[in-house]
Amino acid sequence: MILRVKDIKKSFGGLIALDGVSLDIKKNTIVGLIGPNGSGKTTLINVISGFIQPESGSIEFKGMDISSMKPHQIARLGICRTFQLTRVFRHMTVLECMLLASKTHDTGILKLFLNPGEVSKKQNADIERARNILEALDIGHLGNEYASSLSGGQQKLLSFGMVQMTQPGFVLFDEPVAGINPTLANKIFEKIELEKKSTTFLVIEHNIDILMNFCDEIYVMNKGKITAFGTPQEIQCNKSVIDVYLGG
Amino acid sequence: MFQDYILDTLIYIGIYGILAISLNLEAGYTRLMNFGKVAFFAIGAYASALLSIAGAPFLAGLVVGILLSAMFGFLVALPALRLRADYLAIVTLSFGEILRLFFLNEQWLTNGPMGLRGIPQPLFSVLDNNYLVFYTVMVFVFLIICYAFSEKIMNSPFGITLKAIRDDEDAVFAFGEDTFRFKVKVFIIGSAMAGISGALFAHYIAFISPDMFFPSLTFSVWTMMVIGGSANNLGVIAGAFLIQFLERGTRFIKDFADLGIEPSNLRIIIIGILLILFILYKPEGIIKERKRIL
Repeated sequence: MILRVKDIKKSFGGLIALDGVSLDIKKNTIVGLIGPNGSGKTTLINVISGFIQPESGSIEFKGMDISSMKPHQIARLGICRTFQLTRVFRHMTVLECMLLASKTHDTGILKLFLNPGEVSKKQNADIERARNILEALDIGHLGNEYASSLSGGQQKLLSFGMVQMTQPGFVLFDEPVAGINPTLANKIFEKIELEKKSTTFLVIEHNIDILMNFCDEIYVMNKGKITAFGTPQEIQCNKSVIDVYLGG
Repeated sequence: MFQDYILDTLIYIGIYGILAISLNLEAGYTRLMNFGKVAFFAIGAYASALLSIAGAPFLAGLVVGILLSAMFGFLVALPALRLRADYLAIVTLSFGEILRLFFLNEQWLTNGPMGLRGIPQPLFSVLDNNYLVFYTVMVFVFLIICYAFSEKIMNSPFGITLKAIRDDEDAVFAFGEDTFRFKVKVFIIGSAMAGISGALFAHYIAFISPDMFFPSLTFSVWTMMVIGGSANNLGVIAGAFLIQFLERGTRFIKDFADLGIEPSNLRIIIIGILLILFILYKPEGIIKERKRIL
């Protein structure tokens, strides 16, 4: 298990968002997380990535307790998250976004003046790597465009490109293909599948067909609880899932 | 005489240009609402002036002024940068006022409202007639250094992170950067630059008093940044140029036309209208933020 979430509870005022959620996620798998709107999926991702502190429960990543760490500390362990509304850096170009996502860059100021050669060498290597990733996602020609000028689908591709740029061990993916045409959506998931050999994915997605095709396991959430868990085939046949989610 | 006037104008453009670049790093690129810029300008001015009066060479005063401004920048940043944008603005604004009242009341150190007189001017006795030329060149050397420094860091990974913090701080967090550290660092750099500007100001006019450091100075620098082009270092210098030009230009109007209004009030009205027009019709400023082509 790369990620163990045990009995997480979190409420906002009177609303119980997470009511004892537990997950076990195996390394190098794609795990789907589905559930109706408001069932607590995004809150769960916020808790795992450290943006929200849980009231109780524990989160272990590679055997280490991360439940009280800050978001940037968790990110540095190799857990990368994306956001539901594609967060766009409005004043930044596609390549700048990719450079931001890089983990190998030097952000020190002293080094910039004491050893400028090394900083620019690393940056050039990052730019090269970023170009290759963008090229593979078919948005290589947009490198110098503002990220905000990209279409919805292109922004999703960029979002995924930034994830690849960080070379994470674990990705929390919040709706990677929402609002995207089926062909492109399939393409993004094919890319995700290629990354599976080095990365583990926890994916929130409403597109059931895609999840059925690409996920190894699926968790179903409803009203802050995990109501079902299994392989895509098992989930498809689960009556309670059909009732609450698939709308049988 | 006319040449002296031009040089005097240029010196002020340079001094305000440095302030505008320093504010641009904090507010233009990183969106840190520093409404207390005048405080760090004042620290540079007073520290450098006091040391020079006590007999220290100009450069020593300048360096101490920069270091003290940077140190206070750090101290203010620690609590203030944990606040949301609007509260940061209130805290920095108050810091500027508290500091001014400190300079006003601590007579043993600052001579209170009477101010510090006879601040030594570097190389004054040697240069004599060419003094303004020398000072203009010196101010512009510092302006160019600050410009080059600012461009260098904004084109580095550090700068990319600052711009990203401006757009979406949470997302930067998610990519593993401790945004607070970046904000503190840029605040220290901005404060140090304001210190340079303050020291150059004090040694140029050779007299400083607390009433030169009202919050209006901060807002004047903000106007330069907004009208000139926030997040563009050349833009903010253009802003400093334009505002200086207007501030001085309005003084001459009364020689040509009877307006029935004090020129200093006219100046405020014109700059105010200009600011409104820019925000409405040209919010990116005279020179808009450059896209960085990689």
